[in-house]
Formats: sequence, C-alpha cells, structure tokens
Amino acid sequence: MSSTGTLLEVKRFAVHDGPGVRTTLFFKGCPLHCLWCHNPESISPRPQLACFSQKCLDCAECVPVCPENAHALIEDKHVLERERCTACGACETVCLGGALRLYGKTITVAEGLDLALEDREYYEPGGGVTLSGGEPLLQADFCRDLLAGLKQAGVHTAVDTCGCVNWAAFEAVLPFTDLFLVDFKHADSATHRRLTGQGNELIVANLRRLSAAGADIEIRMPLIPGCNDSDENLRATGNLLAELNLCRVKVLPYHAMARSKYTALGLPDTMPTVDPPDRQTLNRALSLFDR
Amino acid sequence: MLSATFKQDRAYLERKFKQQVCDPDSGLDNETLKSGVMALAEALGDLPHPVVKAKAFEYVARHVRIDVSPHDWFVAFGCWDRYDRPLNPLLVKWDKEVDDTLLTSLQTTQDQNDAGASIMWKDFDHSVPDWEVVFELGFPGLLERARRYRREREERGEMSDEARAYFDGIEITYGAILEMLDRFHGCALEHAADHERLPAVAACLDNLRQGTPTDTYEALQLIYLFFMFGEHIDRFQVRSLSNLDRMLQPFFQRDVTEKRYTTDQIREFLAYFLMQWASIDNYWGHPFYLGGTMPTGQCVVNDLSYLILDVFDELCIPTPKIQIKISPGTPVEFIDKALDMIRRGNSSLVFVSEASVKRALMHAGVPEQDACDCDITGCYEFIPRGRGNSTAAGYVNMLKPFELIFHNGVDPRTGIACGCQTGDLAEIHSFDEFYAAYLQQLDHVVETIIRCVNDFEQHLSRISPAQVFSATIENSLKTARDAFQDGSVYNLSLILEAGFATAVDALMIIKDVVFEKQELTLGEFRDILDADWHDHDKLRLKMLRHKHKFGNGIERVDALAENLARHLAETINRRPNARGGFYMASMHSARMFVVMGEKTGATPDGRKAGEEMSKNISPTMGMDTNGVTALVKSVTRIDSALFPGDFPLDVMMHPATVSGEDGLAAMRRLIEVYMKNHGVAIHFNIFDAKVLIEAQKHPEKYEGLQVRVCGWNVRFSDIAKAEQDAYIKRALSISE
Repeated sequence: MSSTGTLLEVKRFAVHDGPGVRTTLFFKGCPLHCLWCHNPESISPRPQLACFSQKCLDCAECVPVCPENAHALIEDKHVLERERCTACGACETVCLGGALRLYGKTITVAEGLDLALEDREYYEPGGGVTLSGGEPLLQADFCRDLLAGLKQAGVHTAVDTCGCVNWAAFEAVLPFTDLFLVDFKHADSATHRRLTGQGNELIVANLRRLSAAGADIEIRMPLIPGCNDSDENLRATGNLLAELNLCRVKVLPYHAMARSKYTALGLPDTMPTVDPPDRQTLNRALSLFDR
Repeated sequence: MLSATFKQDRAYLERKFKQQVCDPDSGLDNETLKSGVMALAEALGDLPHPVVKAKAFEYVARHVRIDVSPHDWFVAFGCWDRYDRPLNPLLVKWDKEVDDTLLTSLQTTQDQNDAGASIMWKDFDHSVPDWEVVFELGFPGLLERARRYRREREERGEMSDEARAYFDGIEITYGAILEMLDRFHGCALEHAADHERLPAVAACLDNLRQGTPTDTYEALQLIYLFFMFGEHIDRFQVRSLSNLDRMLQPFFQRDVTEKRYTTDQIREFLAYFLMQWASIDNYWGHPFYLGGTMPTGQCVVNDLSYLILDVFDELCIPTPKIQIKISPGTPVEFIDKALDMIRRGNSSLVFVSEASVKRALMHAGVPEQDACDCDITGCYEFIPRGRGNSTAAGYVNMLKPFELIFHNGVDPRTGIACGCQTGDLAEIHSFDEFYAAYLQQLDHVVETIIRCVNDFEQHLSRISPAQVFSATIENSLKTARDAFQDGSVYNLSLILEAGFATAVDALMIIKDVVFEKQELTLGEFRDILDADWHDHDKLRLKMLRHKHKFGNGIERVDALAENLARHLAETINRRPNARGGFYMASMHSARMFVVMGEKTGATPDGRKAGEEMSKNISPTMGMDTNGVTALVKSVTRIDSALFPGDFPLDVMMHPATVSGEDGLAAMRRLIEVYMKNHGVAIHFNIFDAKVLIEAQKHPEKYEGLQVRVCGWNVRFSDIAKAEQDAYIKRALSISE
C-alpha cells in the first residue's frame, strides 16, 4: 500500500457516476484526447495550473509567492507566463478571487481511503466510490490498492474507464471492482483515432475480455452531434455491444460547458460548436442499440 | 386536473383577501367597526379584559360584512385585511397600557432592539388549537364543554372573579361564533338561487352551526372558519391548519366509500381551501402538515396525503406551506413525490423528523407520551399536540458580542451600552481569553432578553386574552387559565438566534489571524471593522476566502461550533419563564438574520456592515464550499437535542445534481442521513445561478419563481435586491 496517485478532484455526493450516492475520485492523465473532452484538465498526467481570468481581481497576491516569477501585474492587469509555471500551487492558496486552481495533487492510498470513506454513510443502499478521470487505470497500482482497501471496508466500487489501457491494468483491479463504467466513442477505428487520437482496437479487445471475465459492465456513450451520432455508427456500435454481457447502456448528451476550462489551462479549444442533442436524438440512439 | 369551474373562479379567489369582496350592505366597514369596538370598550369601563375582548368579538361578529359567493366554497369575512383587523386598536391600547404602567424593562428592551443586540417579539402568533377536539365537538360542542367546566367549578365552589371572566370570555365569544354562523347560513340561503353550489354551502354552514362536520367539505370549512375566527377576529394566529391528512382521512374515506363525493370533487374542495391562504398571502406563509405517526403506531400517510400534494402541486402557490413529518413508516414514494415538487421549483415544503422532535422534547423534560405526538406550530417549531403553546419570545444576535468586546460593552453604531464590560483589548492575550469575553457578552445579551421577556410575558392575556384558542385546550378549561398565558400543560418560550455560523466563522478568524498567525492585533482589527474594511479590501477578501468556515466538515471549526452551541443552549434550556413554563433554545432565525444584520457592523469573517448574517443552523451564505455532505457533517456534530425550540437546515443544490431518478434518490438519502444523525428540519432551494440572475433582470418572465427564505417561501421577484443578491451569491458558490 505504498503507491501514490495523482488526482485532479474529489467529488462528493456524486449522483451520476454509477449507482446511488457516490464519491468520485478523478485521476489525472488520459491516453485519449477526445475533441469534446469536458475534463481537459485531466488529460495531462502532470499537475497543471488553471487561471480562470473572469474571476481574477488583479490583486497581485500571487506575484510575490511564485518562486518562478510566473505571475506579474502589468498595467494593473494580472499576467501569467505559463511556460515558467511549475505547478507548485503556491499561488492557488493566496488567490483572493479564486481564479487560480491547481489540478493534480499526489496522495497516498491511506489518504485516498480517508477521502473515499468520508461519506460512506451515504453509500447505503446502492452507492459507493467511483474512480474516474482522466483514465484511472493509467495509475493501476494505486487504483488496485485503493479499491482493495474499499472492498475490505465493504464499499461498492466502480471504475470509469475509457478502456484504452493494457489488459494488465484491468486484471489488477478486476478482483476489487464491482462495476466497470466503460466509455465507448466510435465503432470505426479510423474515425475513433481522428476523434480521440487513438484507434479503438484495444478498447474493443478489453471490453470482450472484461465481458468474458464476467465483470459487470455499463457502457456510457457520449453522443456528440456530427461526430458519432450517425445511424451508421449507432447501428455498428449496437452490433458490437450485442456481443457483450452488459448491465446497462447509457447515452450521455454532449454539452459545451467545459469550454472555459480550455482557456483557463491555456489549451486550444477543440470542443465542437454544436448544440446538445435533444431527447429525441438520445432516444433514437438508444433504440438503435436495442436492435 | 383542476376543474374548469375552479379555473374560472381562481381570479375571484386570488383577490378575495386583497380587496373587499363583501356586499357593503351586509355590514359595517372596517373603520366603523374599529370605532365601534373602541366605543364599546369605553362603555364597558373596567370590566375584565376577557369580557371586554369577547364583547368586542361579539360586536364584530354581528356587524362585520360577510359574503357567500357563487365563486367559492368558503365564506367571506369583511375583516379580511390582516394588517387592519377590527380589534387591533383595542389590543394596541392594552399593549400600550402594559408598556406604560407595568413593564419595568421597557427602556432596556428598546435599547437592545435599537442596538440590534436582541429583539423581543411580542408573540401572539403561535397558537395551535387541539384540532382533535375541534373536530370532535364542533363550535357548539366547544361552547357546551366550556359551560360544563364552568358548572363543575361553580359546584366545587372554586369560582374566582378571574375564573368567571375567563369563562364569560369564552361563552360570549363562542356564542358570537354561533350567531355569525347563523348570519352566514342566512346569507347563503338568500343567494341560493344564484348558483347551484350555494344550497350546499348553506347546508354545510347549518351543520356546523348545529354540531360537528360530517364530510370532507364540512371539515375543511370548519378549519377555515376556526382560522378566520381566531386570526382575523380574535387576532391570534392559528399556526397550523392541522395534521391535514390525519384529520381529514376518516371523512375522505367515508365520502368516497359511501359515494357522497367523488375524489375529483374532494380535489376541488382542497383546491378552493388551499387558495384561501394563497390569497391571504401572509409573508411568513401559513403551515399545515402531512404524515407522522398515528397513536396506534401506524404511519399517517394515506391516499389523501398524495391527493393534497397533487392539488398543491397543480396550484403552484408559495403558501400555505407544508411540513412533511417523516417517521420510520413514511413511504418512499411519498417523500419522492414531495422531493420531485421541490426539484421543479414548487418548493414550499420542509421535512421534519418525528424521531428527532421527540428526542429533543424529551431532552427538554417533556415525558415520552407527550413528546411522541407533536403539532408543528410555525415554520418548524413543535409542541405536544393539544397541550401547549410556544412563543418566539426573543431573538439573540450572535454577532453583536464582537462589537461589544471591541468597544467594551457599547454598541458603536448607537452608543448604547447594551453589553457588559469585558475590558481593554490590550488585556486579551489569547484566543481562550477572547472566547471567554465573547461568551460573557453573549450571556449578557441572553440574560437581558430573558429578563425583558419575563417582564412582558406575564401580561400576555392582559393584552390579548386567547378565547377562541383556550376553549380547545382541556387543561386551560380545567384550570380556568388562559391557554396562551399559562393554562396549557406546556407554556413554552423560545429564545432564537441569528448569525450562529457567522459567529463561528468570525471566532475562527480571530483565532487564526490574531492569535495564531499574529497578522493583526485586536486593536487594529477593531479599527478596520469600524471603518467597514475601508482601504482593506484585500484583507476582507482574505477573510472571506479563509478555509476555516462552518459547514465544511472541518473538525476544529465544528468543535468550536459545538462548544458555542452547547453553551448557548445550556444558558437557555429549562429556565423557568413567567408563564409557569420554561425556555427552550432554538436554532431558528425567522427573518432576523436580515433585520439584525442591518443593525450590525462589519465582522471579522469578512462580512460588511449591514449585510445579512447566517440563518438557522445553516452556514454563512456561500461559505460552505465542500459540498452538501460536509455541510450535514458539520451541522450534525451539534446535538440537535440541545435545541428543542427547533433545528432547521437550509440546503441549496444545483438542478443538475438532483436530476433524474438517481437525483431524487440522492435527495432522499440526504434527508435520511441528516435525520439518522438527529437532524430535525431540512429544506431545499434547488437553483441554477443563471436562472436567478435572469429572474433579477427580467422579473416579468419569472413571476412564478419561488425561493425558500427561512421557514417559508416567497416569490423571488417580491424580495429586495440585496436579498436577491444574497441568493445569487450563494447559488454561484455551488457547482453541479
């Protein structure tokens, strides 16, 4: 139990990350770079400083505390030289407007268990703890130790994964995971690569092995208009999923609410400029899966 | 679905209590009535107040304008304006006489109020009749029972002048009620040809004149009439319209089984009934409650409970307000139905734990058999059913002690010496010493308000004898003592607080900034606060963003909160009051978190002068940043049994958090955990900050948007901008 993990956030009273009331631990680092990613702060495995400039009061409290002189006040306006920033987090603690936020803090398994068990009173009946991200299974040893501790405490566990990791990572957590929430983006590998940076072969193979191993699996498909909502893809996805033993298939509507995070992190905004799918489109997707 | 007839009548119902709807020829206008009451009182000279008030009641009952409208199932009273009731001048006169001739603490009360240290509330607002008895006996039966008690007392040779006046008061009052029922009945008959509904109204009134209700409609009319006689003529707030599903169920079941009325007809009666209070539109709302446990141990919730919620949901009105009494048997479906309404913004609902209420009252010394069956008697307050009264007697400002320490007992805004002398700031060398000074100032404020309340409350029945109420309380009849004075078994006075969480936040700042980090001296802090943070904006923001705020599940903060709560409660609980009862501490703030906030200077937590403070057991607006589970943890680290007055928590959540079936189950789980840890009352605001900001800009588009203030709802567009801003600030601090 000596491993450590890097988290970007802990969400308590999480209601939509698996069954019941849960605590969700979001891990830093992801092998995919989905164009529509709503947690861009989770993609890089390294700690990152975000600056939500709309909250900045130009108070300059961050200037003297930064060991790298990354912050400055120029003509009464706060400026961040991102390339100097080492994400030490010193500025976050003094920021008066709450504009600076460090994503990525390293914790031990014992600390992770404390965080995860803080709200265990709420987990009955049906709730528990979800490891999400980013891709938690990129930190498989830490996940394994954390999940083992949770199972020992009698807590329901779920792992929310993109599936694009070595099978060994799944094997490590399989004995301690009650439910896998597997995101599935596109049935065609070439398109998958265009949309996420990786093909889908490893994901499909892992899904099949997971299913064969008898794991409880819930498929979660983000529905992105213009990217993966064609009838052709939905049918192909439905055919692929039909081979598997699944508990549930869920369609998650795209939303663009994360756009400000791209700017705050200094990342190019790749989010598609499309409206969220309506109820009718979501139902159509589900009906195509059912066939 | 509400009927087409109801939809047509809704306009009438909405204006019924906002303008005069009665025929001017049916009686006297309010001004004439008021003059008549005063002339009558003058003519009656030195007769005892119960008799004079009863005669005044009788005069109003005989002469007030009345109406029985084809647009309504319920009768109309000419004295509809709650701010201009015909007995007001008489009671104001008696109140002034008490102030001028009997009170020794008048100046102290005034000083405390002006300085905003505490507020004494002259409370005639929290009476709940013994509804069982009202239903069992009806108006004529209540009169007969009072006469019987009178005869028995006479036969025992125990009739004092005071007891005689008490019984005279009740007999005259209830005689007048019966006369007024005759008037209503006559009026209904007179207009019977106008509408097919009116003969039924006439028959209902005749039945209630002769005896007890025989069906759901008559039972509803009885509740309404009792309320109007009590609140609008006798001027005593009837602060719950009963455990409505429990009281009405036998009638409902019989009506449906015997096909006297269909469910749709009963739905219609309920809609007209609920609209009466929507039209009255009391700022504080008007309560009734659903659920709880029957004396047989069965859960109260029944088909009618669902029907009442359905109708309330369809009407989408902020008042009356509904309390849902949660007991172990309360069906999940019922809780979910209420939660779903809240989620959709129809949120005039609060959940109250029956088990926690019982535990708190037993802690206050109430025996189990009385503590297990309580009426809710206000926003969330409770009393043993049919055996008590409770006054919201005094409100304590938890922030004023800071100003009093900084200025050695003197309120800096008014110069009033409303605190004690805790000495020179330079002599306070540690946080423990500061905290001791805080408690000393707090104790001084509490002792002062209790002294003022004791001085005043011994005269409650001199100012307003509670005749309508007393006749329903058996202990009052047995003892021939006014039920709101000292004639109930439990005559309780509450000391309430405002600013508890803000006080904890401010204490933590002093501890950290002044004594641990030594960034400022107390003297420097005083000067900055006196200047309302002028030129210290950064420091203020630092204090606002300080991590050690109540409501975040932080152990060291919660430990201080627990200590402070315990100290406050133990100073108040079970202290004898002036009415043969005792005091109980309450974590309820009503609107005083705004009112006393306006009279309080800047405080160390970052609050500016005049801003509102925290309310109830809830955190300072926007300061709970660790989510709702951390909030519940902080709150339930305080033993709710310390606050038998009540212990309500306000929860605000984003709509996305509670969407779908999972969201509903999560809300329910939150209630379960809160109550499992002895939480008493919990209510919700489910908001998206964007919607509130839009509603502030375009009120016309959001006329139906309700917010829960404390123990009641108001329309967002009806509250002041500063209060709207506070909600927006709070909503901005919560995430999905």
